[in-house]
Amino acid sequence: MTTRRALLTGTALLVGGSAAGAVGYRLWRDREPEGPPATDGAGRLVWRNWSGIQSSYPQARAAPANEDELASLLKTAQGPIRPVGAGHSFQPLVPTSGTLLTLDRMSGVLDHDPEAVTAQVRAGTRLGELGPALARIGQEMRNLPDINKQSIGGALGTGTHGTGLGFKAIHGEVQSFRIATLGGDILDCSADHHPEIFHAARVNLGAFGVITEVTLKNAPLTTVQKRVELRDVSDVCDDWPELKKNHRNVEFYAIPFTGKAAVITVDETSRPVKPRGADEDSSTLMTLKTLRDLFGYAPDVRRFVARKLMDALPAEDMVDEGWKLLSNERPVRFNEMEFHLPVEAQIPALKEVVATIEANRPDVFFPIEVRHIEADDAWLSPFYQRASGSVAVHAYYKDEYQFLFTLIEPIFRRHGGRPHWGKLNSLTAADFRALYPRFDDAMAVRAALDPGGKFLNPYLKKALIGG
Amino acid sequence: MTPSDPKLAELYTHACKACHGVAGSGAPLTGDKAAWAPRVAKGLIALKTSVAAGYKGMPAGGQCFTCTPADHEALIRFMADQPVS
Repeated sequence: MTTRRALLTGTALLVGGSAAGAVGYRLWRDREPEGPPATDGAGRLVWRNWSGIQSSYPQARAAPANEDELASLLKTAQGPIRPVGAGHSFQPLVPTSGTLLTLDRMSGVLDHDPEAVTAQVRAGTRLGELGPALARIGQEMRNLPDINKQSIGGALGTGTHGTGLGFKAIHGEVQSFRIATLGGDILDCSADHHPEIFHAARVNLGAFGVITEVTLKNAPLTTVQKRVELRDVSDVCDDWPELKKNHRNVEFYAIPFTGKAAVITVDETSRPVKPRGADEDSSTLMTLKTLRDLFGYAPDVRRFVARKLMDALPAEDMVDEGWKLLSNERPVRFNEMEFHLPVEAQIPALKEVVATIEANRPDVFFPIEVRHIEADDAWLSPFYQRASGSVAVHAYYKDEYQFLFTLIEPIFRRHGGRPHWGKLNSLTAADFRALYPRFDDAMAVRAALDPGGKFLNPYLKKALIGG
Repeated sequence: MTPSDPKLAELYTHACKACHGVAGSGAPLTGDKAAWAPRVAKGLIALKTSVAAGYKGMPAGGQCFTCTPADHEALIRFMADQPVS
């Protein structure tokens, strides 16, 4: 029996005996959150992000099929022009009353260099499509984010990353890109051509122009073994430096109110393929929710029951090409705050976050994701000249999430964290100026490309210009 | 399975397929009549409302950023692979 299936079975036995008394409260708590109307007074369809907390009614929606169409469109489109990838950002990067722009029709691998192991990829390509496409040409991305729904353009826009010592975020492997400007030009940018745009707009928030394609430095296709193991979180925190040294990709999820952590390691292997099987993460998550629902206000009982269920469960192993294992299906929606901290601050910040949640928020049940990202030199990269440890806190999409701002963000800021550009934070331009040494240089490049601020919605004006 | 209409195929490939074409995503898979049957029983209006507003794991609009309500209806019919009224 796998790790997670045994957990489900054990919890099911408990639920049967305990469910009756709180049915009414739970039905109220589990109601679908109210959303905005499907159309506004002018009949415009609503756009909402994946989690549902961001919305707007764009006047126009554009889906250009090629660079010529895009360039022509940018000259005349109603502002704010907001590019959208997969809509997985939690910050209001996309909402616009003007033009919502998708590159869904500009996707695919255009070309590749087998000697250099690079691939030229259109920006609308989703990571989930890119994995098999690269595998067909004998390449892979060795570091992938937790999900693979993002478009390459969106991933670059927000500094999307995976985890592992020596691995940069996705934008760290970009050798060059093409960007469409408001003037209708398509510029080729690299360290040698338009270097100021290359360095400023490799992490770009869709605020400099619209990236149409990128050249990615990849690696030869390999087979990896992924292991998921439940351990005591205190041991994992102590072992974290060694875990990073000993595994190619590694992360862990600290599970509040349990004292346990799920450690996920990925290493190259010559073992035969053992496919990952059906997703169990979602069911495990709902088991944690059940423990919250039943024992939320009795944390000692919650911890006791969780440990009883989790202790002595075997590790799970799977073997396959990396693109099939590194990312995961996450159909249970949530809202998220993630900050990227100096490496030495990561574990102290995590311990403080867990203690704060356990002291104040018994409703939180989502695991907290802990990862490592290497430094890079993109001016707006959260990892600009700083290898970082990330800590990500999640709230179930039906639960209140303001505690992320009131309780969690102050901890991250005190420890010197830079927020993920696409995830919840309350920082303004003045805050970002203090955190990013090249912030003003990046803004000068942005202003030169878009002097009228046509790519800026109200949030981006607050985050990038301020005042 | 991909819709025969090229425009619908493009919309399906870039939005719905990410979940409805992936085993283990939690979504009823395209062409799985048995999985779709209880959804179909709710009726087309209920299904279109779920797409527009979002429902459980499905985000609002099915993350199809250029779909019209007519596109939603065509995509539901395609994925359910059975009469929907």
